[in-house]
Amino acid sequence: MSCSVLDEQQFRQGCQLLLQRSDQLGDGWSWEAVQGSEEGYLRKTARRSVPSDWGPLHDQEGFSFHPQTLCDSTGHEKEEQDPAASTGSDFLSAEEQDDGSYTVTDSSSRVVQYEYHILFSCSYGAPVLYFRAFTLEGKSLALEEMWSTIHPNYRLRLQNCPLSAISQQEHPLLGQPFFFLHPCRTEEFMGLVLQAVQDQGRPVNYVLSWLSVVGPVVGLDVPLQYCTPLHSAVSLNSTKPD
Amino acid sequence: MADDKDVLRDVWFGRIPTCFTLNPDEVTEREAEAYYLLLPRVSYLPVVTDKVKKHFLKVMRPEDVEEMWFEYEGTPLKWHYPIGVLFDLHASNTVLPWNITVHFKNFPDQDLLHCPSNSIVEAHFMSSIKEADSLKHKSQVVNDMQKKDHKQLWMGLQNDKFDQFWAMNRKLMEYPTEDGGFRYIPFRIYQTLSDRPFIQKLFRPVSPDCNAHTLGDLLKEMYPDALTNDGEQKRYQVLIHGIEPLLETPLQWLSEHLSHPDNFLHICVVPVPTD
Repeated sequence: MSCSVLDEQQFRQGCQLLLQRSDQLGDGWSWEAVQGSEEGYLRKTARRSVPSDWGPLHDQEGFSFHPQTLCDSTGHEKEEQDPAASTGSDFLSAEEQDDGSYTVTDSSSRVVQYEYHILFSCSYGAPVLYFRAFTLEGKSLALEEMWSTIHPNYRLRLQNCPLSAISQQEHPLLGQPFFFLHPCRTEEFMGLVLQAVQDQGRPVNYVLSWLSVVGPVVGLDVPLQYCTPLHSAVSLNSTKPD
Repeated sequence: MADDKDVLRDVWFGRIPTCFTLNPDEVTEREAEAYYLLLPRVSYLPVVTDKVKKHFLKVMRPEDVEEMWFEYEGTPLKWHYPIGVLFDLHASNTVLPWNITVHFKNFPDQDLLHCPSNSIVEAHFMSSIKEADSLKHKSQVVNDMQKKDHKQLWMGLQNDKFDQFWAMNRKLMEYPTEDGGFRYIPFRIYQTLSDRPFIQKLFRPVSPDCNAHTLGDLLKEMYPDALTNDGEQKRYQVLIHGIEPLLETPLQWLSEHLSHPDNFLHICVVPVPTD
């Protein structure tokens, strides 16, 4: 039996561990149960500021700008910038220079509200990431707009591997359109991750490891604090070192 | 007894007489006539409605035309479900033809996936086939196929070519004799009155003591309410391709013969009509 395939119970255990850590760190994950059963999924919302001029798929020359990840909707310790400022004049964006490099300047950019769900696929024995995004006015982002919020470096990688590409899919529990990352390659890359970790004899949370690989592609950061030992739990936004 | 192969043909060539009417709120230059079509149960709406689109575009100005979508009695129809499933789920006990309303504006993007081209339908179809094979064969058969073989499955469906499709699909229906069946059965159970779009879980075709699981066994495990207990009145119909198979039918046989081209058994549980 391949160790890189998960069963539903292991998935739930991984989620619970992730949830405990998230609670300590104030990272905003919650468990949504399906009525009257043990089945459910992890859910999180977050806001990101995305440069308005990251542009369409083919503009990719020497990028150095990284999006600001603001704190989530649970209201924990907000960062200096107020996420509600939708006009975006407080946010930074990138402008292309003549030599193809980018400089960061003050100009408007978009604030996008993301919703992330982690479900279990029994067909593939793996977690699957479903997500959708809205403008602050509540208008949902279409596929092309979603692509334009993804860092150009990740776009190249996704383009080269169509099976990992982002596509629209019906949420298996809610029935609404979401975007998702296809899980058919998960066993492949998780096999490599698990092998490396198990060679070192360390315990591993499959769900957390998986999330740290796929999350950043769609703007979902998984802070390193998730991996620090439990007794030294530090809030994500605290300035005190561990 | 009918040959099992005949069942495959009957399934493939199932049709639903449908009447397409333009949504009265669409802006038209003159009145639009209804359009009649026999829809293949096993195909998908975007693949077989080019003529419907052309017909209605004749009475509309280009600037009033956005993404086409379909609705039945107020319910947007999910194009990524096989046509037969949509009919069985929403209109199985109504008088034919099936009356579908055509829309060209106000696309309900909270309910429906976008479908800008047939390549999106192809991607969904192939994704289902791969998922089904992951359940049946740990993806070994589908991964051993070449890209042109995958293409043959899609083209067979798109062009309504039974022989072309099954020349390739038969490989996905094989299994080691000693196993007695697939690893798990790809199925989805649809209910009418649930938030949850469908039930899909792991289920083996053969029990640990080597007995063949039946349709009844599947329902007992996944959706016991669908079954009628002794002395009770029947509340639900369990439909596959518009018929009610006997609950004693072996699940492995159903999977091999009554699956859709996407290799899934799509099972609709609908309330018994009360008239």
